[in-house]
Amino acid sequence: MSAQHSLPAGFERLELFVDQWVTATTAERAQRRTDSTPEERQAFFDAAAPMLEQAIAYLDAKPLARLDDADKRLLKLMFSLSHVQMAVEVHREMEPRHAMLREIMVITRSATDGI
Amino acid sequence: MNAETNAVFRPPLDQARWLGTDPIPTKAYYDPEHYELERKAIFMRTWLQIGHVCELPEPGSFIRRDLEFAEASLLIVRGKDNVIRAFHNLCTHRATQIVSETEGRTNAFICPYHMWNFGLDGQLRSAPDFENFFTTKEDCALKQVPVDTCAGLIFINLDRGCAQPLNEFLGEYIVDRLEQAPVAKATGFSEYVYDLDANWKVDYDNFQENYHLKFIHPRSGAPSYTTDNPFGYPEQFAFHGPHRTQIFWSGINMDVATPTQALISGAGMKHAMEKGLIPNPTNREYYALFPNFFLLGSPTQHFSHTVYPLTARKSRGVIRLYWVGEAQSASELLAREFGFLVARDIHAEDVAVIRAGQRGLNSGALEHMHFQAMEGLCRHLYQVSSEMVQAYRDEAAAKGEPV
Repeated sequence: MSAQHSLPAGFERLELFVDQWVTATTAERAQRRTDSTPEERQAFFDAAAPMLEQAIAYLDAKPLARLDDADKRLLKLMFSLSHVQMAVEVHREMEPRHAMLREIMVITRSATDGI
Repeated sequence: MNAETNAVFRPPLDQARWLGTDPIPTKAYYDPEHYELERKAIFMRTWLQIGHVCELPEPGSFIRRDLEFAEASLLIVRGKDNVIRAFHNLCTHRATQIVSETEGRTNAFICPYHMWNFGLDGQLRSAPDFENFFTTKEDCALKQVPVDTCAGLIFINLDRGCAQPLNEFLGEYIVDRLEQAPVAKATGFSEYVYDLDANWKVDYDNFQENYHLKFIHPRSGAPSYTTDNPFGYPEQFAFHGPHRTQIFWSGINMDVATPTQALISGAGMKHAMEKGLIPNPTNREYYALFPNFFLLGSPTQHFSHTVYPLTARKSRGVIRLYWVGEAQSASELLAREFGFLVARDIHAEDVAVIRAGQRGLNSGALEHMHFQAMEGLCRHLYQVSSEMVQAYRDEAAAKGEPV
């Protein structure tokens, strides 16, 4: 495990998803979702969704300004989980068609981009 | 579960009946000549929402907004006196566009061509070799555009002589409600923008009727319809001059949320409550301000949607989710990410049918279309727009001018 990829203790199980699903901006997360395969989305969702509650509890225990790089990576993973959730749980087999429709909606600003 | 869920739902079938029942001539939705009349009669002389005061946080903050339908570029700026002013983004020397940045902070607007230097109040401060000109600095101030705000929302009016103040245009009810909505306290927003091959009314109408929800949003819109209210119709329509509002069904079934969604939305609700945004009288109200602006009152997914005409058959939508205050915790940020992407997912679902509607209209094969009782807001927009076009024709005729 490289230091760059480390997540907070207790979240090691999600380490293998960091490369694909930790990005700086909402627009990039939306693009990763579109570019991923159904298998990649399902694997990430299956691993991350059961840890969401624990991740929120862990991250909310610190003020936002005090999150370190590992914490921020975990938070960005959870941001990506929220995107992938729509694909896996809501659109399901319709996700490829949705990906095409979404392209027209160009993200120009997001409140979470500064983190 | 909300006790109201069990209430018998009665769609407000009579609330738009005063608008009549006639079929609607389709020409207004694709014809370039009609569009040109609407452009002049409506968009060139009506208050238009164009931004939010949170974009102008301090003296010298400015935004540039290009309005394709007017071939105009505007600068909206907060002066040293804290007053918000709007100007055409052009030098009064030879009309060169001055500012190319979309936003920023400055002490002066300096034309790149011959270095004319304008203050934040629009006055020409200096110009090289100005003594060779045959005019005065006073006559060379930036061209001002009427601007005003309501609930933090910035409105402009391209009619320099517009007589009606913004508050009067919006009316007492709308002003009062907007002032209570989270947007009045917003400090930031997330945004997505789309260009669509559809007339501005075709685009806009999609978002002011719920009839399509269960067909176009069968999964993402699932909470909106129940056995009591199978189409997810609103509870109430109301009309306020050229504007209209609806109140959404109180029996929205949040039980269909998955555990992941419930966790994230729950965090969003908690933070909205901590910020005092819930309860809010605007919670289920959806505002459609003439001609082209929507605001959803919901504090947790508080979005605005402005539809700008581009041509008779093209429009641009700008959708913003407004946030109150800096996020205080990770889960508050997560709720913002989620609220934003869900709104974008749902809006994206509408694109294909709106485009298909426009393609059908463009053929001219359908002379009239039909709005049912629960599409009364679409009928109202058609009627108000048509009345304004007619008023414009009458004014031109009275002055003996061609339209």
